[in-house]
Amino acid sequence: MNKFMEVLENILLPIADKLNNNKYLTALRDGFMVSLPLIIFGSIFVVLANLPFLDKLIGEEAFATYQTALGPASAATLSIMGLFVIIGIGYKLTEQYGLEAIYGGAAALASFLILTPQVLEGVAGVIPTVSLGAQGMFLGIITAFVSAELYRFFTQKNWTIKMPPGVPDAVSKSFSALIPITLTLSLFLIIRIIFSYTPFETIQNFIYTIIQQPLTTLGSGLPATIVAVLLIQVFWFFGLHGQIIVNSVFDPIWYTLNDENLQAFQAGLELPNVVTKQFIDTFLVGMGGTGMTLAVIILIFMIGRSRQLKELGKLGAPAGIFNVNEPIIFGLPIVMNPLVLIPWIIAPVVITIITYIAMSTGIVPKPAGIIVPWTTPPLISGFLATGNAWQGAVLQAFNLMVVMVIWWPFLKILDKNYYEKEKSSNK
Amino acid sequence: MKNILLACSSGMSTSLLVNKMKESAASKGIEVNIWAVAQDKAPTEIEKADVLLIGPQMRFMKKKFSVVAEKAGVPLDIIDPMAYGRVDGEAVLNKALELIGE
Repeated sequence: MNKFMEVLENILLPIADKLNNNKYLTALRDGFMVSLPLIIFGSIFVVLANLPFLDKLIGEEAFATYQTALGPASAATLSIMGLFVIIGIGYKLTEQYGLEAIYGGAAALASFLILTPQVLEGVAGVIPTVSLGAQGMFLGIITAFVSAELYRFFTQKNWTIKMPPGVPDAVSKSFSALIPITLTLSLFLIIRIIFSYTPFETIQNFIYTIIQQPLTTLGSGLPATIVAVLLIQVFWFFGLHGQIIVNSVFDPIWYTLNDENLQAFQAGLELPNVVTKQFIDTFLVGMGGTGMTLAVIILIFMIGRSRQLKELGKLGAPAGIFNVNEPIIFGLPIVMNPLVLIPWIIAPVVITIITYIAMSTGIVPKPAGIIVPWTTPPLISGFLATGNAWQGAVLQAFNLMVVMVIWWPFLKILDKNYYEKEKSSNK
Repeated sequence: MKNILLACSSGMSTSLLVNKMKESAASKGIEVNIWAVAQDKAPTEIEKADVLLIGPQMRFMKKKFSVVAEKAGVPLDIIDPMAYGRVDGEAVLNKALELIGE
């Protein structure tokens, strides 16, 4: 067993290293981080605008006015999150090359806008906001990568306008970005023009049909989700931060699915996706941390007899409520512990399936596209993520019990081992 | 004054450790400044630190951090997983002081 684990770790560690140190994935992850405070701001106001029973309390008309008043908060952030991700990626990638990062961010944004349709239902001078949110997400990410690369390429070619000494730094800087940006944006304009002669008409349309739709369809399915969940669990089993490795690949898909649901939720339509960012963050991670270890903590309080586990329970509970569970992962320990491998791997898969079925059959509302911070305690997070639906909280409570049942026999054995070791060492 | 920097994915779980380390330092009468950051902030924060300790779940980042740490002339190591799990402030503090060379 030990030999096998050693071999597996030797495979996983380089993968983690590669994925994590890849400059594009790093820029992608950090780019999403830039948008996070904004989309959480937007999410708060979606929650407030959809408080349950408020329409009954203050009347339909007052409620409509109230919703309209709060509307811009999410419309300017959450609904057009693609924009912030693009700026973030352009900025972070340019920063990695040690160049003036803000120009990289601005160039990425302008490149994306050049590619974006500027007409809606025959009205010119209009940018459809859907292109800036879910629909434009993949094009935005690709554009940000390409524009930052082009910007770097042209800057390092040194075709910049040299200013004589004595010209203030800021002035010469603004000129030094001129040629690289002009060349970069010109290329994107050419791309736009070329695509206008294809059946796709816009590159937005092209990327959406060829890349985004197939990937998000795949990513929203149960099999791909189980694969992602399994990978996260396996990485953590070896003590490697699973999400930071797996999410950098899956986040573009999960956020896009999330935004699609948000649009439908705000339009009062049926929500298209079960699997979204919130499906993962609220119903899998948001239950005490990866592996839903809040269930393990509760079990420790219920059946734990060994001093070691009791101490761990006390240590892990306060952080566990806010879904930080490193004490449990390294303290139980879960890492490299063959005894808990089975519940550690099985429980999240079972919960993924239960949650998927509960939502696709309509027993529990699907995630409404609201980004609930992953540190939000369970029950509250389930309620918020499903658009203020109590069923979301009930599902979390139910799932918690399922996880406890799965863990029960294994924790019992572990506890017994510790207890007997403590007893014999006391003699 | 010793400046000890901890880094993990978002600076959450290491911040648990920060408090325990501060308690341990206070009881020993050692003057320290200990803080936790998310991994992407570590390269800039390292300028203010005398030592950098990484959460074990981020150990695959050691190679990347070694480059910046070397440039800043700051020793770095990965926190022992057992000490991390037990949130053993004293053990990690001792390790940090040892790395600084006290």
